[in-house]
Order: sequence, then C-alpha cells, then structure tokens
Amino acid sequence: MKKIIVFISMLLVLVSLTACAPKEAEQVVITFKQNKPEIDDALQAYAKAYEAATGVKVNAVSCGGGSCTLGDMLKADYAAGEMPDIFPIDGPDSYKQWEAIIADLSGEDWVDETSVEYVVDGKVVGFPVAVEGWGMAYNADLLAKAGIDPKTLTNYAAYMDAFVKLDGMKAELGIDSVVSMTAGPGMYWVTAHHNFNSLLSNGLEYNDLTVANNILAGNIDDTRLNEYADWVDLLFKYADKTVLTTGNYDSQVGAFLNQKAVFLHQGNWVDGNLTDATFKMAFAPHGSSTSDTDGIFVSAPAWYVVNKDSKNYQAALDFLNALVYSDLGQKYMVEDAGMIPAFGNISLQPKGQLSQSVQAWTAEGKVYSWNQYLFAGEFRDNVLGPIYDQLAQGAVTADEFKALLKTALMEAK
Amino acid sequence: MFKNANNKIIARNISEVMTFTVMIMFLVPLFLVLINAAKTNNEIISAPLSLPTDWSVLIKNITTIWSNPNLRYSQALVNSFVITTFSLMGITIFSAMAAWVLLRTKTKLSTAILMLFIAAMVIPFQVVMFPLVKWFGIFQSITGIQMLRSYTGIIIAYIGFGSSLSIFMFHGFMKSIPHEIEEAAYVDGCGKFKTFFLIVLPILKPIYVTILILNGIWIWNDFLLPMLVLGKGTPVQTLPLAVNNFAGAFLVSWDLMMTAILMALVPIIVFFLAAQKHIIKGMVEGSVK
Amino acid sequence: MNDKTKTKTSSISKDKKIEKLVFWLFLAPALFSFLMVQIIPFMIGIYYSFTNWSATAQISIDFVGMKNYFDAFQDPSFLYATIITSIYTFMNIILVNIIAFSLALLVTSNLKGKNIYRAGFFLPNIIGGIILGYIWQFIFNQFVPKLAAAVGFTYLSENLMLGNSNTAILALVIVSTWQYAGYIMMIYVAALQNVPKDLLEAAQIDGASAWQRFRNVTIPLVAPAFTVTLFLTLVNSFKQFDVNASLTNGGPSTMFMGKAIKGTTLLAMNINDTSIISLNTAQAQAKAIVFFLVLVTFSLIQVYVSKKREVEL
Repeated sequence: MKKIIVFISMLLVLVSLTACAPKEAEQVVITFKQNKPEIDDALQAYAKAYEAATGVKVNAVSCGGGSCTLGDMLKADYAAGEMPDIFPIDGPDSYKQWEAIIADLSGEDWVDETSVEYVVDGKVVGFPVAVEGWGMAYNADLLAKAGIDPKTLTNYAAYMDAFVKLDGMKAELGIDSVVSMTAGPGMYWVTAHHNFNSLLSNGLEYNDLTVANNILAGNIDDTRLNEYADWVDLLFKYADKTVLTTGNYDSQVGAFLNQKAVFLHQGNWVDGNLTDATFKMAFAPHGSSTSDTDGIFVSAPAWYVVNKDSKNYQAALDFLNALVYSDLGQKYMVEDAGMIPAFGNISLQPKGQLSQSVQAWTAEGKVYSWNQYLFAGEFRDNVLGPIYDQLAQGAVTADEFKALLKTALMEAK
Repeated sequence: MFKNANNKIIARNISEVMTFTVMIMFLVPLFLVLINAAKTNNEIISAPLSLPTDWSVLIKNITTIWSNPNLRYSQALVNSFVITTFSLMGITIFSAMAAWVLLRTKTKLSTAILMLFIAAMVIPFQVVMFPLVKWFGIFQSITGIQMLRSYTGIIIAYIGFGSSLSIFMFHGFMKSIPHEIEEAAYVDGCGKFKTFFLIVLPILKPIYVTILILNGIWIWNDFLLPMLVLGKGTPVQTLPLAVNNFAGAFLVSWDLMMTAILMALVPIIVFFLAAQKHIIKGMVEGSVK
Repeated sequence: MNDKTKTKTSSISKDKKIEKLVFWLFLAPALFSFLMVQIIPFMIGIYYSFTNWSATAQISIDFVGMKNYFDAFQDPSFLYATIITSIYTFMNIILVNIIAFSLALLVTSNLKGKNIYRAGFFLPNIIGGIILGYIWQFIFNQFVPKLAAAVGFTYLSENLMLGNSNTAILALVIVSTWQYAGYIMMIYVAALQNVPKDLLEAAQIDGASAWQRFRNVTIPLVAPAFTVTLFLTLVNSFKQFDVNASLTNGGPSTMFMGKAIKGTTLLAMNINDTSIISLNTAQAQAKAIVFFLVLVTFSLIQVYVSKKREVEL
C-alpha cells in the first residue's frame, strides 16, 4: 500500500514538473540587473511604471551586499545563456571580464550630458550609474561647539591640531573618539580602496595619473608616501580601537550617527544610513599632505553596460535614455533611489546632506579623481588591506607600516 | 537501596539543571535574534542587547514582509514547501533504495559505486557551481526537459546533492539490521520490493526521520543552489531568494532580516518537534522477535 | 533428475536476472540525479582546471595544461590556508564530537525535558549567513569583553578575540562547533536509540555497572555512528566557508613569510577569493581539485580505519 502511494506521488511529481515550463512572452522584455538591493523596492516600482508607459517589460533584479554576489550571478547567467541586457561594471577588472559582449555606446545622446562616462580606447562603453564622493564627513554642530572651522581643514597640520583639540574635549562633546574609522576584515575597501586613493590623487588635477603610473613603474615619491603614511597613522590614532580593528559598516557609521565621533571616513552613500541624523554634516578634504589639498574625491562608482548580443538591443538603449531624459526616470534615479545624477541636464537633487555636499564641491570644481583602479582589486584586497590592518592592530609601528607599504608598492604591477 | 534511589534522583536533578543551563547558553544567539526582530533598525545597531521596548514592532515587521508586493512572500513560502517536500521525499526514498541494494549486493561494482557517492561529499561546491548551470542548459536544449528556472531542475539537484550523505548514513545503519529479518520475509514469499518497503523501511524509521531533518534544514535555508538553478527574480522563488534583498550593499535592514529568520524558523521547529517522536523508538527493538 | 536440475538452474539464473534488475532499478533514481548534478559537472570542472576558463565572456577557452596547478602551489596564501585549515579541522573534529556525543547522551537519558533539549541543541544549525556573523561578532566584540570585565578576566576584557588572527581561529572553532554540534548530536541520538534496551537490561541483571554497560554494550553498538560522524566533521570542517566568511571575513591580518596576509582565510575561502578577488577562476578550479584530492585521501583513510575499529569493537 505504502509502495503504491510512493509510486503514484512520484508519477505526479514527474507530470507536474514537466508541465512547469515558462510560457513564451510576446511582449518585449529586457533584463536589468544592479547591485544595490536597498533600492530594489524603488526599482520595481519604476519598472512597473516604465512598463505602463512604454509597454516594455523590465525584469529588474538586485543582487549585491553581503549575501548575493553579482559577479557570481552574472557568471551563472552567462553559463545558462541568459546574460542580462543591462548590467553594471565597476572598473577595469570587471570590464575585462565582459569585454567580449559589451556594446559601444558612443553614439548615445546622454554621452554629451556627462563627464564621467566609462571610456575604453576612445569608445564610450559605460553609462554612469551616479556620482559619488567621499572625504572626511564631519559633524558640523560638534565642530562648531569645539570652535573649529571646517574650511581650515585642508592639510595635515590643520587636522593634527583639530584632532588634538577634539580629543581633549571628548567628555564635553560626548564622543568616544574623534574619528570613526575601520581597517579590519570585511572593511578593507575603506582603507585599501578609498584611503589609498589619497596617496594617488589628493591635490592633483582631475584624472592626473602620474603618481599612480610612477608607482607602477617603480618610482615612488618618498616624501609623498611618508606624508600619506603619517595621515593614516593620525587617523588610526584618533579612532575608536574596537571599531577600527573589528568594526563593521554599521558600527562605523552608527558611531557617527549617534554623535560618538566627529568625523566619519566614508562617502555620500551613507546618507541612506543617516536618515535619522539630528545634526548638520558635510565633507571636508583629506589631510594626506602637508600642503593644501582643497577638494574631495568624486567620480562614478559603477557604470551600466549593454549586452551587445541582446535580443532587444534598442529597448535596452531606450531604457537608459529614459533614465536621463524622462521625468519618470529622473525622479526614480534621484529621488527614489537617492543617487546624485551624473548628467548635467538633470536638475533634481537628492535629499541627503552628504550627497548635497558632494554636489556643492563638484559645483566649485574642487574634485579629485578616483585613481585606485589602476591597481588590481586583488592587490588592494590581498596585499594592501592586511598591511593597514597590521597598523590598526598595533602589530607594527608607523615606520614599519611605511616600509611594508613601500615594499608592497614596489612590487605592484 | 533507599540511599541508592535518593542518589539517583539527586544525580538526575543535577543532570537536568546542567543540561538546561547548557541549552540556555546554546540558545543565547537565537534569543538575540528574537529580541532584535522586535526593534527598529537603528535600535538594533545602537543597542543590540536591550530588550525591545515595543513588541508590536515585530508584528509590524512580519506584516511588512508578508505584504510587500515585490517579495511575494506567500508564493515563495509555497514554493519552498513544495520544493523541500518533494526533494526530501526523493532523497529519503531513493537514497534508502540505493543504499540497500548497494549493501546487500556484495560485488566490486557496488563497492565502487558506494565509494563514488561518499567521495563526492568532498567535492567543494565551487568546482561544480558554474559547470552545473552550463550542463543543465545543454541538457535542456538537447532533451527539451526544462531544467533551469523550473521545479524539475532544482528538485533533481537537491536529490543529487543530498543523496551522498543520505546513502552514507543509510548504509551505515542498515548494516545493523540482522539478515534473519529479511531471510524470514523471503521465506514467507515476499519479493524484494515488498521486503524493502514493508519490512526494512519501517525498521529504519528513526534513521530516515533523522535524514529528513538533516536534509530539510539545509534545503529550506539554501540560497546558493536556488540562485544558480532557479535564478533570482524569476517566477519560481524560494524564501531565501525572496528575502535576500534585505541585505543591501550599504543599508542592511537588520530588523526585517531577523524577522524573516524567525518566520522561516517556525515551520522547521514545528516539523522537528513533530518528527521527534519517530526517532524515539529504537530501530531493531522487538523486530527480531 | 535431469529435469529437476534443469528447472533449478534456470530458476537460479532467473533469480539472478531479477536480482540484477532490482539492483539497477533501486539504484537508478539516486544514481541518475547524482550523475546529473555532481559527477558530470565535476568532470567538466576538471576539464576547466586545465584551461584558462574564466566563467565570464571569453573569445575562446584555451588549454593551458598544468599551469593553474603550478601557480596554485606557488601561491603563499594557498600554503597558509592549508596549514590554518588543518589546525582548525583538528580542533573542530575533537570539540564537535566530544560535545555532540555528550549532548546525545544527555538527551537520550531519563531527563524530563529531553525533547525540548534535543530541539534546543539542534536549533543553532538553522542560523547561518550574515545574521550568524552579525550576532556572533556582536557577542565577541561587545558581550565577551563586558562579561570578562565583570569576572575579572583581564585578557579577554582588553583584547578582542576577533582582533587577532590567532584568537580569531579559536572564535571560528567556537562558533562552528556551536552551529554544528547539534547536527552531529542527531546522528549520535539515532545510534543510541538503536541500542536494544533488552541487551542493556540483561547486562544490568548480570551485575554490570553503568560504566561497564556503557563501555561493553553501548559503545560497540554505536560504533557505526562514529565512522559517519568522524567523516562528516572531517569533511565539513575542511570545507568550512559560511561561518568563516560571515564571522571573520578572512580574518584580521597576520605576518606570514614576511608579508601581511589575511589571517583566517581557510581553504574554501582562499579558493573563493582566487575566483572573485583575484579573478582567476581557472586557478580556483585547480586549487579546488587539489583540495578535493587531499581531502578524499584523508577521509578514505579515516573511513577505512574507522570501519576496521568498528569490527574490532
């Protein structure tokens, strides 16, 4: 009897399974993937509105953060023969991975509206997802209370004085540490990607790659390197040890949100985590040099590329155009997804204070480029990150840190 | 004798207290999940240890998750149920069948096949991850049977991955079933099928309930295999796929994630407590007689 | 007489045919699924390890012979990961099995709440992913120092376990034991339930003490379970990835061979990093195949030795 039940159920299973093939769709469908799951709700709403307006169905998927690796998903899609029509790349490493199927978008109208499109060998291949920037985010109210003018914070000496003063006023200000900084595992991107960039581009013309290229060629400017290492040491010295060595993103940003730290070493993407903030904040430059470096680091963090083998190529291009030129698209990009638009024709502004600060710095032209991409992700994550971590743990002295850094950079290709 | 009985009771009470204490220690992290599911995100980040001020936040979170149109939670719940149930049925029955014939057939071939199943447990998933997707794609274009983005593919995948451990365990425990029981069945005129399903399988109840539980846990909570075989954002989604967006790149909705975990825990606990009584009786007890 | 032997031999060969049919019929569903999702992809994966396959868009996949394997062996992080994984596995096997067996004994004894306890010890196995990491990071970074300060244990109150790669490995062992002991306990429970009560009663009547009953009746009958559990803990510890990624993320850095490297990157994570961070998926395949060969050797030895001792016990 049991045997019969078992076999009938198996048969039912087989029958129901083979009947579960998806139906063919007559309508045009494009697949759009992006890597910020927190804006998925806004994205799905936009996809529905887009379909109502144009009749094109957008299959929008978000995958990113700690529990979904977009790189793996794209590889699986490729293996399954279901490569999406639009997906993001974040620099030379990921561009090389998909180069063979990335379309040339040089002829698109939006190319003229932006200055941060992704260009390879003279061809425009990437649509900038947003503009992002980082610097030293500061709590304006606490600085005012301490009598420090953020406009003076443009070089190492100014920061040193400010940190010493703030450290002495810890009880008065109610803070645990002057800076909220992380250097531990899982947060190597803060030190080895972002902070490292101060060495490469602070104070230089936008897109001036000489320092980075010199390092790759083996010519290291010792003065510049030593000043930079001093800056790292200063930041670590005035950071909360727990957050520095073992803190995660939430504890680092949380300390700033709860006014336990005056400065935060992050970028404008933290606006999403600071919606409950009760104080004024903005960005100040990094003080990685003894001379003035009056600017913050601004660029596009990722670019959407179009699959040149897409079955609905024109629909994909139209989708990107809609983000730039349609009211619906602009509203989604800036207001719902909270991104600073990379296109000059868009006048909308995101709500976050730090995003507005980035826009202010950009309007004044006081911006430096993101040059860390000249160094492979592997180098930054596996070689540089652990070195910063050693300094953070106190396992090496500042001088040993400088030596380790120099050795590593000499071997970088 | 009176003294002995007293000592026994004292010893038992001490064991009881000890076990209870150890269990409380074990469950502290789960307790943390519970109390944090009833807080807002900021409360979780700033004061993870404190008890929730307002338990109704938990209800609010549950409602948010259940009613979010993009999550389609109820649909994902049904899918998870269907996939888990059919996979478990397949794993348990097919593995028991395979283990039994591999055990009772003493040939070099059967030993080799058994070794193959066991050795496969060692294969790191990364090696087969992408080739599996590619192979499924090739297979479905050759045979027309939908393997990717379908129930068929994911269930076959779970049976395939779950069979190694299950066959290994069945094989290990089947050895202690005395031959005499089966011989008696053959003498009584039972064929192989009847012997297996009516005599052997019932004896193995504690084992296969254990296997159901062990496999059930990882299938219910599994993210990677569904992400590869079913795809994210496709019509057939399981619970882990559906709630994955709570973990953003920068903004993690810890409150919703904790709540989602609790919601996923409930069926598991219910199943576990219900299945426990089947493990209680011994395997061979009384059956020789 | 000739007729009798004829029918006997023909019925024997018919029996043999049926037996063979049953053998394959019973084996077929599991074998088919197994071949489909493990063996065939594994063969494909082995092929890829000899090429420059990247899993991303390539113009062509070219054969490179043993290059990936040579590179893998020359990678210091691979060597470090092998050492640290072996140490971790050794500690884990011992700790998980001692705790799981003890718990199994407790929940199969005459305690009143044993059903609840069984569920309670098993529940940790359900928590995984980033939530596991978040909760335990919080416990190690905030809860443990406060607790240590309260009891006067100064080392732990001033040093974070996750802040140093040596103690971070211990933290890893603690968390993975916590998560896995319940799972292994279930297997021991099934085995302990298997010990026939009448045998134990008979031994008791014969005057055997509790320890003697345990040593001479229980342990030998539980022996098959040891083979299973030792194998599982060996393989699972060696393959550890989830707890590693969520708890320590490859760990605080440490100095190895003069360079700073991530200090708690176990083998599975090293292989994953080779694919995702170093963007060398083919080399990751090669590393994974080496990993497989090493572990299969260890575990076959373990199973062989265990089975021998099973018989002896």
